[in-house]
Amino acid sequence: MMAFIVKYAAFSRISVAQARRERGELYGRIVFFAVILGVFSSLWRAVAEAGMPVAADPKTLVWYLAATEWIVLSAPPIHLDIQEAIRRGDVVYRLGRPASYVIGEFAASLGLLAARAPLLGLTAFLCAFAFTRWIPPLGALAIVVPFGLAAAALMTGLHLWIGLLAFWLEDVSPVYWVWQKLMFVLGGLMMPLELYPQFIQKAAAFTPFPVMLADPASFVVWNRLVTPGALARSLVIWCCATAIAVWWTFRRATSALTINGG
Amino acid sequence: MQAAVELHQVSKSFRVRRARGAGFTARVFDLLGPETQTVLAVDRLSFSIAPGERVAFIGPNGAGKSTTLKMLAGILRPDAGDVRVLGFVPSRQRHQLAFQIGTVFGQRSQLWYQLPPRDTFALLGRVYEIDGREHKRRIDALTSVFELGTLVDTPVRHLSLGERMRCEIVASLLHSPRMLFLDEPTIGLDVSAKAAIRELLRSESERQGVTLLLTSHDTGDMERVCKRAIVIHRGQLLWDGPIAALRRSYLKAKRVTVWTEAEHLELTLPGVRVLSSGSYRTELEIALEITPLGQVVDAALRQAAIRDMAIEDAPLDEVIRALYANADTGSASS
Repeated sequence: MMAFIVKYAAFSRISVAQARRERGELYGRIVFFAVILGVFSSLWRAVAEAGMPVAADPKTLVWYLAATEWIVLSAPPIHLDIQEAIRRGDVVYRLGRPASYVIGEFAASLGLLAARAPLLGLTAFLCAFAFTRWIPPLGALAIVVPFGLAAAALMTGLHLWIGLLAFWLEDVSPVYWVWQKLMFVLGGLMMPLELYPQFIQKAAAFTPFPVMLADPASFVVWNRLVTPGALARSLVIWCCATAIAVWWTFRRATSALTINGG
Repeated sequence: MQAAVELHQVSKSFRVRRARGAGFTARVFDLLGPETQTVLAVDRLSFSIAPGERVAFIGPNGAGKSTTLKMLAGILRPDAGDVRVLGFVPSRQRHQLAFQIGTVFGQRSQLWYQLPPRDTFALLGRVYEIDGREHKRRIDALTSVFELGTLVDTPVRHLSLGERMRCEIVASLLHSPRMLFLDEPTIGLDVSAKAAIRELLRSESERQGVTLLLTSHDTGDMERVCKRAIVIHRGQLLWDGPIAALRRSYLKAKRVTVWTEAEHLELTLPGVRVLSSGSYRTELEIALEITPLGQVVDAALRQAAIRDMAIEDAPLDEVIRALYANADTGSASS
């Protein structure tokens, strides 16, 4: 077990080193994050000032968005790396090593997640505070952080699964495009799911999207969509389902493997 | 002694999509019910390689070389036949085999692009479960042999192709593999980088007794690194033997260049083709089975004094081209 941990921790470590060298991407995400929060805080304030009905307190909506965007931006787009490795054929190196390809890729992504999440979390906190002049109860934030990280790890696993589809599709961007739209609609990326029509909330309950976004983010403001225990259970179930899907897809992919150039 | 590589009647085919056409309707049909066809990449291939041998694995594009290499590395599973590498069945014992083999794919990279090679070497040390002290010793030794110097601490994106390839080979040798599979290791390199890589591969194989299986389209790689050639065509074995014998078997002609006192030579001997003549220099191709070299020289001397003469084999490229052409003619006639 120790050897297993040491082996795959090396993937995480090199990924952290790579993230340090590619600071531009992280800075880009931070700027994007600040802009998004600025735009939406202005929007909610303008809506409230215009006397239009806002389903929730604009301040809480900004903090909710800060939490969901923190999760989304922290999860590395591993599907792009896998797609590129398959297109270029570099995947042959990784498949031929005495290490599991999927665990290695996942461990590398977790390293990237660990490198990004703290800075993006700090950005979320500072920007949300700057735009609302309000801080949610610290107890609520203390629950959001571990659940947010677990949700980002689950999202990374699902990105890995999307990436594996490149063994057949070569270009997984259409799949990821649909995935992003589903995150908006079924995950409650911009607004809490409670504000959505009832039928969307019911449909969302059968998908992993609320577990990754709406449920952990809701602790910031309401703490009433789901209890921490129920969310932990749901996360475990969806992590297991994702692991099975990744394992099955990878087995199918390697048995049908035709690598570029032979 | 157990063979390093043993293939017996190995076959591998792929199912590939076949487009119905370029029109809109054809594309819709392709989307709804794609048509596929089976491509036989490797067809009942058999050969074996002894430990420590350096073998060139040759074939035209699409001959099945890379597919064979990937079956030997355990990345692809053969449809039929037996494969053994260092006593392991690659498709079933890929994990155990991976500790014993190294792979270098010239057009691919295993180095992390933004990081210095040393970081990738550290990762590989963990992946191959190499003891820390031994790993450091190995890095130092290979860095010295491959003259990497400060390159190991330079980000890969700043390395030239030749420097990167040296680092790729070092990465593949870190775990002291007993067998090294090389797929076009000198592709895209300049003349001096090619020469350096060839020399390093040959000397490393001689020093450590590493078995090499090298695929390349560059005959220089084959001649300078390997002693034996296995030629495949359309997935089937076409030739297996020493490279020198390959030349002897297929070279029925010599190229002779003669510098004479006369401006032109007029040679009309059977089996002798004048490739160019003028400016006191005549280039001939002589079919030795028809006319021995001595007769040609006598005939030339009867016309003019010879100042100098160069006799060459046709390039190995031509030998291999002739081999493929023979195979194509054979398959067409059958």
